[in-house]
Amino acid sequence: MGGLQKKKFERGSATNYITRNRARKKLMLSLPDFRRLCILKGIYPHEPKHKKKVNKGSTAPRTFYLLKDIRFLLHEPIVGKFREYKIFVRKLKKAYGKTEWSAVERLKGNKPTYKLDHIIKERYPSFIDALRDIDDALCMCFLFSTFARTGKCHVQTIQLCKRLTVEWMNYVVAARALTKVFLSIKGIYYQAEVMGQLITWLVPYQFSHDHPTDVDYRVMATFTEFYTTLLGFVNFRLYHSLNLLYPPKLDSKAELELKEENEDDYAMNSECYIEKLSALSATLARVVSTAEEEEAQLDQFPVEGEDMERMEAREQEQRKQEVQKKLFEGLKFYLNREVPRESLAFVIRGFGGEVSWDKSAYIGSTYEVTDETITHQIVDRPNIDKQYINRYYIQPQWVYDCINSKIRLPVEDYFLGVTLPPHLSPFVEEKDGDYVPPEKMKIMALQRGEKPAQNQEDEEEEDEEEEEEEEDEEEEEDDNEEEEEEEAEEKNLKKMEDQRSQGKSLQVKVTPGKLKVENPARLEQEEKAEEKRLAIMMMKKKEKYLYDKIMFGKKRKVREANKLAAKRKAFDDSEKAKKKKARK
Amino acid sequence: MAATRRLKRVASSQPGFLHFKSFSDSTESVSSRRKRVNKNKKKNWNKHIDVNDVDEFLEDIRHQERTTGGLLSEKSDDTLFFVDVGQPEKPESKAAESEEGKKRKGKTSQPLRIDLILQHDSLIPPPKDVLAYQQPNAKKLRRIAQKAEQLARKGVVPRRQKRLLNMRPVDRVAKKAMTEANNNPDREFYDIWGQKSKDSADPWYLQQTGKKPVKRPEKMNDKPSVIPAVEVIAPGGSYNPDFFSHQALLQEAHEVEVKKQKEEDKVERQLAVNKEDTATKETILREEVQGLVEEDNEDDEKANEEEEDVAVGGIALSQKKTERQRKKEKTEKMKEQQRASDKRQTDLQQQLFQLRSIKASLKQQDQKTQSRQTQRKAKQEAQKSQPRRLGRLK
Repeated sequence: MGGLQKKKFERGSATNYITRNRARKKLMLSLPDFRRLCILKGIYPHEPKHKKKVNKGSTAPRTFYLLKDIRFLLHEPIVGKFREYKIFVRKLKKAYGKTEWSAVERLKGNKPTYKLDHIIKERYPSFIDALRDIDDALCMCFLFSTFARTGKCHVQTIQLCKRLTVEWMNYVVAARALTKVFLSIKGIYYQAEVMGQLITWLVPYQFSHDHPTDVDYRVMATFTEFYTTLLGFVNFRLYHSLNLLYPPKLDSKAELELKEENEDDYAMNSECYIEKLSALSATLARVVSTAEEEEAQLDQFPVEGEDMERMEAREQEQRKQEVQKKLFEGLKFYLNREVPRESLAFVIRGFGGEVSWDKSAYIGSTYEVTDETITHQIVDRPNIDKQYINRYYIQPQWVYDCINSKIRLPVEDYFLGVTLPPHLSPFVEEKDGDYVPPEKMKIMALQRGEKPAQNQEDEEEEDEEEEEEEEDEEEEEDDNEEEEEEEAEEKNLKKMEDQRSQGKSLQVKVTPGKLKVENPARLEQEEKAEEKRLAIMMMKKKEKYLYDKIMFGKKRKVREANKLAAKRKAFDDSEKAKKKKARK
Repeated sequence: MAATRRLKRVASSQPGFLHFKSFSDSTESVSSRRKRVNKNKKKNWNKHIDVNDVDEFLEDIRHQERTTGGLLSEKSDDTLFFVDVGQPEKPESKAAESEEGKKRKGKTSQPLRIDLILQHDSLIPPPKDVLAYQQPNAKKLRRIAQKAEQLARKGVVPRRQKRLLNMRPVDRVAKKAMTEANNNPDREFYDIWGQKSKDSADPWYLQQTGKKPVKRPEKMNDKPSVIPAVEVIAPGGSYNPDFFSHQALLQEAHEVEVKKQKEEDKVERQLAVNKEDTATKETILREEVQGLVEEDNEDDEKANEEEEDVAVGGIALSQKKTERQRKKEKTEKMKEQQRASDKRQTDLQQQLFQLRSIKASLKQQDQKTQSRQTQRKAKQEAQKSQPRRLGRLK
């Protein structure tokens, strides 16, 4: 046969993909360099739909990249820098081997470096794109800032991460953007709303970690390299949006307050400033220092197609948010030594409160224990020796729970030595019918403003013995009453029937009727219910079958919730019984 | 040395020497017959000149210098004479003496004799060693220095100095590399999204000259996974959890562990070996000995069977095919073909009556393919939330 025959694997998906080794050879890079480049540029392997076609008939496990992506990589200027660095390392090794120290110094001075700014501009063409991807960057930077400076990863990276995270926290404090906090076994989850984007990040607890050895720190370091650059630019933009100086400087007034005699005890001179910033106890300097202005009323722009109702609802929400942002305004906190200072300082200042701690614990304390105007002191010990009268001594969970429930919860549940209520997750959205823990119900009731119910419950818990007995008595009485009533009715009915059977006329009198006050709302509800029932009756068999299935599924949730509630009741009762026994 | 008089060897020529010949006889002749010597010649300076007076004078001068450190005639009056005012009052001197005496108990300590001997007792300073101040190539060195000064004034640096200067460690370059590094903690950030792009020239020109920045492919902006970057742990993971949520979390973890355990058990079950099937010494022996140590009957039977087999496997001799055989084969082949075509024909006709079943089978096939398609699509969607599969090497 003449002519060009169509050969297999010459067109189509087989030509759109390239294996990893081929790609590496095309770029003339070593494997770690190729990996680093892919991480920096955001190129991932692509899983083809028909593996056999792409792999030219074999089923060996290979990673495939899109050929267009690799061709795009060829235009990247960083690739040249990687090659230069490889040559630099080779020359340096030679100089070390020949012990030519002057050559070593010269080479080290001319070390090839690269910048990632153009990559960031290319991957995130607008600021909002960058904000969407900042979660991961924040988590990574917070993690790296907790590392010890041993030299496993560059010490400079750790310093840079610390600086960036401190800047971010200062911004969140200044913008009052924090909305949710959750203390978990993994660390502390924070959520903030920045420029309309919800950003969640995780901060590990501040103690020395035992770093696992099976984690590849080089890959993490490459990610961190990219993320630190991204976070730096984002910080710059955010600070300018709030009219603050970048790199951040302490307000001159605040700086004077913080000046102490023995600053050398805390940190070296070079690190003193950043330590003061990281204390988060002072305000930042603005670009144009203005006197405190009254917040101008925002103009009401009606959105097209919105009714008055929606606008009002939106305004109400905005007002609620404004109130929420000033949750701790006017309160003065003092942190005892054993509580996590950084997290609490961040969170308290993020809602407008003032916070301080012991002078010897950390730099940047503004007032001492003996200050009379302190309203709350946060302690985590079972008891404390010297107690001032006009301040509350509470456990740290109160602060976090207040933030999550958006109101100032009553302090009594969080006193020293009291068993705390469980710390609920604010990230859980409960739908109708799901199990809602009773603590959450309490909080929701408080939010609505129903206080007396809570008081009653408190009273019950306080005087257990007396009230339990009383309750028992009351319950018995109630039951008796009900039974009596029922019995009475039954007796009456029986009497009437007997009389009728006997043919006697009933001794029923005609009495003036009582006016039944018809509740219009209740009437409406009844009508609706009836309509629903009629509609259900009129459905076709198939539709009815589907409807039954759906309702079964819905009711299942309710059933489960009821089951859990019953379990919880049983658990609580057993707890009460245990307490009783312990007391006796 | 020149001043010291050489002792005259000849004793007769020394003064005061009495000759044999009497004085009265020989004085006139001796004195008049003294040989005439030319005093101006160098040879006679040492022999026939009397330098005693000069010697005495010079000796006197030297003595003066040794003892008093210079010529007495040149000294001033103050150094040689003093006005005698009389003895100072005794108690003062006594007090001074008594103080000194207290310092030194008993005898006044004097310097050691050996130290005194070794000291210079003449007041003439020791002479300068001229050779120490002489430098044979002083002129040359001076010339070199002057030339160097001239060049330095002009600005030309000699080669050695230039080399030394080049060997100095350069600090600023190291700083530059450090400040340029990407993870420098003090690095500057700027507004990367606020700057306007440098659209300086015509885009066509930029494209033709290869200066246009390459566009990033659209597909690269897709996220690799639909899972959010930060997943918040379930409410059971709180540090002070609610009882039920904690139990739910534990239940999930438990299920994961149970799954893992099940898989392990499955593998172990597949690899399980019955203990009774393991080879013991008896079974091994029996296997090895099978067929060897047997009774005679069994032997004969086996021999017969082997012979029969041999007979069947004999070679069949082939004979040439005759014409008839060939024709027969041909006709048979034709018949077969005809039969097959007939069958096909009838099949096609009968298919008309099998339409319903054909439809049904087609429908079934369609359904199968559709279900497979939906399954594959669902699998792909599920894969998006799974972690990416890596190759053989990570």
